[in-house]
Amino acid sequence: MNKLLPKPSKVIDFQRETFDNFTITLDAKMKHEPGQFVQVSLLGFGEAPISIASHSDKYIKLNIHEVGNVTNALAKLKKGDKVFIKGPYGKGYPMKKLKGNDIIIIGGGCGVAPLKGVIDYIGQNRSNYNNVMLFLGFRTPDDILFNKELKKWRKDYHVNVSVDKDPKKTCYDFNVGFITEMLEKTDLNNNNKVVFLCGPPIMINKVIEILKNKGFNDNQMFVSNERLMFCGIGMCCHCMIRGKLTCLDGPVFRYDEINKYEND
Amino acid sequence: MVNLLKLKKAHLKKFLNKLKNEHKLYVPVKTDLVRFEEYKGDIYLKENSYFPIKEFFFKKEETLFDYNKNKISVPEKESEKRIFFGVRRCDLNAIKHQDMIFIEKFNDPYYKKERENSILIGYHCNTAPSEFCFCGSMDLKDCQDLMFFDKGSYFLVEISSKKGSSLIKKHKEFFKNTDKKITTKKIPNTDILHTKDISNLYNNPDWKKASSMCLSCSACTALCPTCYCHSIHDEGNVHNLNKGKRKRTWSSCQLKEFTKVAGGHVFREKREDRFKHRIYHQLEYFKERYGVNLCTGCGRCISGCPTRINWLKLVNEMKK
Repeated sequence: MNKLLPKPSKVIDFQRETFDNFTITLDAKMKHEPGQFVQVSLLGFGEAPISIASHSDKYIKLNIHEVGNVTNALAKLKKGDKVFIKGPYGKGYPMKKLKGNDIIIIGGGCGVAPLKGVIDYIGQNRSNYNNVMLFLGFRTPDDILFNKELKKWRKDYHVNVSVDKDPKKTCYDFNVGFITEMLEKTDLNNNNKVVFLCGPPIMINKVIEILKNKGFNDNQMFVSNERLMFCGIGMCCHCMIRGKLTCLDGPVFRYDEINKYEND
Repeated sequence: MVNLLKLKKAHLKKFLNKLKNEHKLYVPVKTDLVRFEEYKGDIYLKENSYFPIKEFFFKKEETLFDYNKNKISVPEKESEKRIFFGVRRCDLNAIKHQDMIFIEKFNDPYYKKERENSILIGYHCNTAPSEFCFCGSMDLKDCQDLMFFDKGSYFLVEISSKKGSSLIKKHKEFFKNTDKKITTKKIPNTDILHTKDISNLYNNPDWKKASSMCLSCSACTALCPTCYCHSIHDEGNVHNLNKGKRKRTWSSCQLKEFTKVAGGHVFREKREDRFKHRIYHQLEYFKERYGVNLCTGCGRCISGCPTRINWLKLVNEMKK
């Protein structure tokens, strides 16, 4: 079988989240773990690795930030259009192994996308996990993703949303300031807790530092990493973090697996 | 099965001419540089080729598929019968390592097609062809179909595979039996990388000595017979943008763009980290996954480096 050939998939829904972010739903039926990703391509523009922001075997949702050639082109998709996908790839969050724990989900910006897959999974398997806390950070109130879902999450979980800045002074129910400040203020211990992280590197580093100060161990934190990738199967080597391949051994790593690797 | 035969040197060209009539035959030729070209009567065996034969199999540019609107089709490729004569032990092992990746692990149809029907005839170095050769440090194996040992007026020809054996059978008029033996396959003065385990040297400050001379030009990876990192891009047809090709092209971990994600963040920003990444991939990371060193000790990354960064010397002299 030729592993480099993508399969066509139909766009069944297009939802704009913010001025530079949108969610597409594809009719791809695939079994996957929360935190895994697919390679999405638009022929002529190229391929981009995008994490799966849903948990269903009937469709996949992809939340996409318009930041490069492929994602800018994907933003012009309409219902009924075709894209090409490969995957699912990588290792996701080990949900089954973590049954019975409290789960703390910390996401920044479009890093919330793979975590939405986790939240959907928890929703479907609620009894397997105890308390669920969400810390979600965005740049401004206009950048907040998954507004519709947030309303539901607020009912079911302990949700903290913060925005870095509030230039238009429109913020009533969110905290203004970095997500790290909010985390620092929250009274947390590491008893039967695991932390799922995804976001910009600078946020991840700071969050880890705070959690360590609160007594969390490296093996309680799971980080989803972003890297440049092309093949998705461990052949092209762009995504290497030292000897680890983000596409095969990750993108989700338990932090003690990669905690020594700073400059990769 | 007789696995050692004798071929008179005077008969080599006749043998090659015969091969050439039946297959495409590539041999090292000295033009501006020594490189593998189709055999036209000249052959140059005094040095190793400047470019390894990697590019005949793992192509600099490979079309993965053509697209037309939303239809994709894989271009049909003929599998040519090719013979490569005069390949050194380091480069033969390098092809084996590429086989491990592209065939054994990923069953890559594009690479496989290029490798099918190709016969590799080795030429064993009597002495190291370059001062930077360090194959003696790299645990090389026999990966050829036939190996030619240069004994002055004749070659001893070792039959190393079924493919090699049937080629010999077809041309048995050139070969004579012999009671001679190959006593050693070690090439003298090539065990010059003394520190083979570099796992504890990652934070050694001496790496800066090398990376401060590095221009990030990527000559080392382009000349390397084993480097297999690549990128994948779409190339549109300028006359009809609905049509185009998805292509796989060589890329290099020495370039900043190698880890640059959309938005502009570069993960391996420092030249020192990129320099180390190559050496560690060659000597450590690949071994963790595939059980052998990726590097085969050809020394091209030093001889082809514009600032001649001798990382062997550097690693040997690092304090553990």
